[in-house]
Amino acid sequence: MPPPEAATRRQGDLPAGAAARLAGWLRGYRPLPGTPDELMDAAGRPRDYWLNFLGELAEYPESEFASRFTLATRHIRDTGVSYRIYGEENERSWPLNPLPLILGEAEWRQIETGMAQRMRLMEALLADLYGEASLLAEGALPASALTGSPDFIAAMRGVRPQGGRWLQLYAADIGRGPDGRWWVIDDRAQAPSGAGYALENRLVLSRAYPSTYNAMNVQRLAAFFDGMRKGLADAGERAEPRICLLSPGPFSETYFEQAHLARYLGFLLVEGDDLVVRDERVYVRTIDGLKRADVILRRVDADFIDPLELNSASHLGVPGLVGAVRAGGVALLNMPGSGVLESKALLGFLPRLARRLLGEELMMPNVATWWCGQAAEREWVESQLDQLVIAPAFDGPGADGVNATPQMLDDLTADQRAAFLQRFRDRPADFVGQEVVRLSTTPVLRGAVLEPSPFVLRVYATVTPDGIMVMPGGFCRTSDRTDVRAISMGADVHTADVWMIAERPVERVTLLPSNDEVSARRIIGHLPSRAADNLYWLGRYLERAEATLRLVRGLCTSLMDSEAALHTAGETLARLLQLLIAWGALDEDAFDLTALAAAREALHDSDALGSVANLVRSARRTASSMRERLSADFWTLLLDLEASLAERPGAAPSESEALQRAEAALRTLASLSGLAQENMNRGAGWRFLDMGRRVERAVNTCRVVRTLAHAEATVDDLDLVLDLIDSQITYRARYLVGVAMTPVRDMVMLDPFNPRSVAFQVAAMKAHLAALPSLLEDGMMERPNRILLPIAAQLEASDAAGLDEEAVLAIEQTLLRLSSAVSDRYFLQGANAAPTVKMSGLG
Amino acid sequence: MIYRVHHRTTYAYDAPVAFTQCVLRLTPQSSARQTVLDHRVTVTPKPAQTQRRAGPFDESQTAIVVEAPHSKLVIDAASRVDVHAPSLRNPEESPAWEIVRDRAFETGALGVASPATYLYPTVRTPIAAPITDYARESFAAGRPVVAAAGELMRRIRADFAYESGSTSIATPSIEAFEARHGVCQDFANIMIGALRGLGLPAAYVSGYLRTTPPPGKPRLEGADATHAWVQLWCGPSLGWIGLDPTNALFALDDHIILAVGRDYGDVAPIEGVMLASGAQTLKVEVDVKPEPEAAVLRPAFGASA
Repeated sequence: MPPPEAATRRQGDLPAGAAARLAGWLRGYRPLPGTPDELMDAAGRPRDYWLNFLGELAEYPESEFASRFTLATRHIRDTGVSYRIYGEENERSWPLNPLPLILGEAEWRQIETGMAQRMRLMEALLADLYGEASLLAEGALPASALTGSPDFIAAMRGVRPQGGRWLQLYAADIGRGPDGRWWVIDDRAQAPSGAGYALENRLVLSRAYPSTYNAMNVQRLAAFFDGMRKGLADAGERAEPRICLLSPGPFSETYFEQAHLARYLGFLLVEGDDLVVRDERVYVRTIDGLKRADVILRRVDADFIDPLELNSASHLGVPGLVGAVRAGGVALLNMPGSGVLESKALLGFLPRLARRLLGEELMMPNVATWWCGQAAEREWVESQLDQLVIAPAFDGPGADGVNATPQMLDDLTADQRAAFLQRFRDRPADFVGQEVVRLSTTPVLRGAVLEPSPFVLRVYATVTPDGIMVMPGGFCRTSDRTDVRAISMGADVHTADVWMIAERPVERVTLLPSNDEVSARRIIGHLPSRAADNLYWLGRYLERAEATLRLVRGLCTSLMDSEAALHTAGETLARLLQLLIAWGALDEDAFDLTALAAAREALHDSDALGSVANLVRSARRTASSMRERLSADFWTLLLDLEASLAERPGAAPSESEALQRAEAALRTLASLSGLAQENMNRGAGWRFLDMGRRVERAVNTCRVVRTLAHAEATVDDLDLVLDLIDSQITYRARYLVGVAMTPVRDMVMLDPFNPRSVAFQVAAMKAHLAALPSLLEDGMMERPNRILLPIAAQLEASDAAGLDEEAVLAIEQTLLRLSSAVSDRYFLQGANAAPTVKMSGLG
Repeated sequence: MIYRVHHRTTYAYDAPVAFTQCVLRLTPQSSARQTVLDHRVTVTPKPAQTQRRAGPFDESQTAIVVEAPHSKLVIDAASRVDVHAPSLRNPEESPAWEIVRDRAFETGALGVASPATYLYPTVRTPIAAPITDYARESFAAGRPVVAAAGELMRRIRADFAYESGSTSIATPSIEAFEARHGVCQDFANIMIGALRGLGLPAAYVSGYLRTTPPPGKPRLEGADATHAWVQLWCGPSLGWIGLDPTNALFALDDHIILAVGRDYGDVAPIEGVMLASGAQTLKVEVDVKPEPEAAVLRPAFGASA
């Protein structure tokens, strides 16, 4: 097979400008003394695949190169492939390097075989430690090398995992040592993070330089994730298992990565509250009742997964989960207790354990590590104290904060050193000494200059039905500092995509299964109660924002329309303000404000909970915790809307600007409803979003009618009602006589053909409730229906003339009762699913 | 000595509770030092499910699920236990503490009886330099471990005030240490942290004390509730020895063991969750009475007697 074009490109083929640029980069590039480098080989020559890549890059005009990368980054982040929101809600955001880390086929083979072997070793080690513990009985490992880890879970001893294995996903942080081999710095076996970021980084770079990416035979990642999904499915008992990703929730540092992975892999993203254990099996709470969870991919640390049997202070877990695991009622991967492998104390034992458990030499060495729990190792470390990195041997609760992170004793003050030495002599087993190694550097661009930067590469291995598979890529972190240890502390860290270059063209992996594997389906699973709850509130927030915007628009137009301006001092304006105050869009004292100032505050005020800006913010927050259920367009529009409502400092808008903003925001909201109507699958999820909107609209309309269409209403009041309910045009087409009380009330309350009327909302609710599942087995009607049906009938049969304020108020109150009946019935926090409360049992 | 233990826990709720799930560790330990003659746990209302099993610390667990709505939950544990702790040998003849420490770190045994399980700090029993330094005064180089630990126990009793209600289950041991007061579990936590700070294997014990003292003896602190003390591993031949820093006593026939773990979290008598919205109040009553010896036919104990 002829090599692809790009592989043969050399500096000589480049246009003059690009060649000069490339030459400039290379000339200025100085690997750190005594440190291996990825771009330059030991002889100081650039490696071929780097030269290809840099040559391609040099061909982009300088400005275009920067803008390509920036655009791709922003595009990916904004369209919600990534869910990171501008550093908010604890999400750590690492900037992405424009250059990937590029490794050749030989490197990749070394990593692939080394990782696969290491995962086999880890699996065998876990099976022995929690099973027969023969390694301990033989003296290959002292018990104290395990018990120091908070992730040595005694409750897992003797447990046979469902699915037959302990690990699904295993990761290691590696770097290239001075001898050219890849060295393991740390093992990650609890619930390795970062695989989702690797996917995201790949998306950015493949979009920034599509032709370079395609020409360079970069190995694709999709097959790895597909293998992982199949591996998980294989661990379940049933043929089509329900697979959940158990997340600690939105406050977790890597929540958005978890959401991304769940959506990419098609798993249900759940938190502890979403799951219950009954009869040693695990179930998801859905609007159809409890549905079996067969396989759980765990992102919650083991100690927190079960407040009954493990850490009782945990709010993240599922009571009884450990019991279900013990009974084989669920496949929970990685198994609780896998995290014990992350202890640095074990590193020094691994070469011997590989020989003992696999009969093989360890292919990827560890950074040399001596655990001071053993006499000989302790003496060696003591004799070398100032030459070694001293690190905690276990992730357990450190003492006094002394030596909580790896450090050189040189960096300590005299007092700290004395305190450390005392601690070390009292309890040497809490520490390891590690050789200081110079791991290799990789080029990064700083401005227009190419510079070497230390990096740590996290690589992943997973179990598939066909055996272990290693991700041909990874998650790379580089540091602006020259000290590689800074990376683990997260200081000045950038990430980079990782390109594993194949020597032969890579096949484009299609994830399309063959036809006979797939039968058509129209309904996708059962809607979890949490998702139903979030969708319902998203609907309510958006509708409330829209109603508030209409009020603001009313304020603005009343200012500009010369005839209506007469009313600015009058009662109609006062009633508008009264509504805005009642809805929390304005403070109590807003009566003193001018109409313009009131409009501005109701739009932007960040203190008033009901301001449009805050409502949209709440909508966005609600949406962000179920990103996996919303389309990228929906998300982008919502972010745009939020950005457009952010207060612009110093610039107080004029009447027309305020009006313009309100109208632009209304148009965006209309697009959002349009997307929901036209693009959302008509499953239960859409129904909850729509029900939220309908209930909110019906209640708001009742309030508008009570405030403005009361017995003494003026023509102006009624005119405003038609504006707010968006029914001006219809009204004028139907009634030539001008505004009058009874027709207005009929149109906004009872008209079944007007999509803004209360009757219309109630009819829509009725259709939704009829389509949702019933849990009652006794043939009785569920409570939301029992509340709704009488008012539906009442609205159908009523006459507008008899619809006084009292009757409207009664309808409004019924609708509010309906809303709480809906949440009681379908959501987690309803009366039927009260929150779990800890019992304290101290005598 | 045979005891009748009655331990009743009553939860009263402001609003009815729809569902309760808990793990009970209310069955006294069966071991060489004590024999459980009779034991019964009664839960009202009646649980929908009850499951007995051995927990990770070999403690006997009862897992219950109550599904009937209830505004009161009563957990009643009644036991008859024969305690026949081996008498204490001369503390001065025990091995040097450093030897015990090194043996504990070297052992290949992994399990509830292994000293390796009790060597490291936990969140509830952390190691803190001031506490370790306090312990160091009793642990001169080469000193026999039981003698040194006995002295540490007596110093804690002398230096700290027992003040009922002065701390809660959540009080960090360093706080109690600095305030120089606390209740039995603070004393236990402090002593465990002190021993582990020096690298010695120390465990947390939950259990009971006899309620009324023998004639002519003072009433012990912590006798009307569940009690907590410490076990220290003193080398392979002596094994685990109980020390009660609240009363400055080696734990012998007056101490009835419920469970032994790394800290309170491993042995909490009742751990549970419920679906509820209101507040709860908790009442615990403990009564421990020795049986008149004459009235009881002692069973034969075989080798362990």
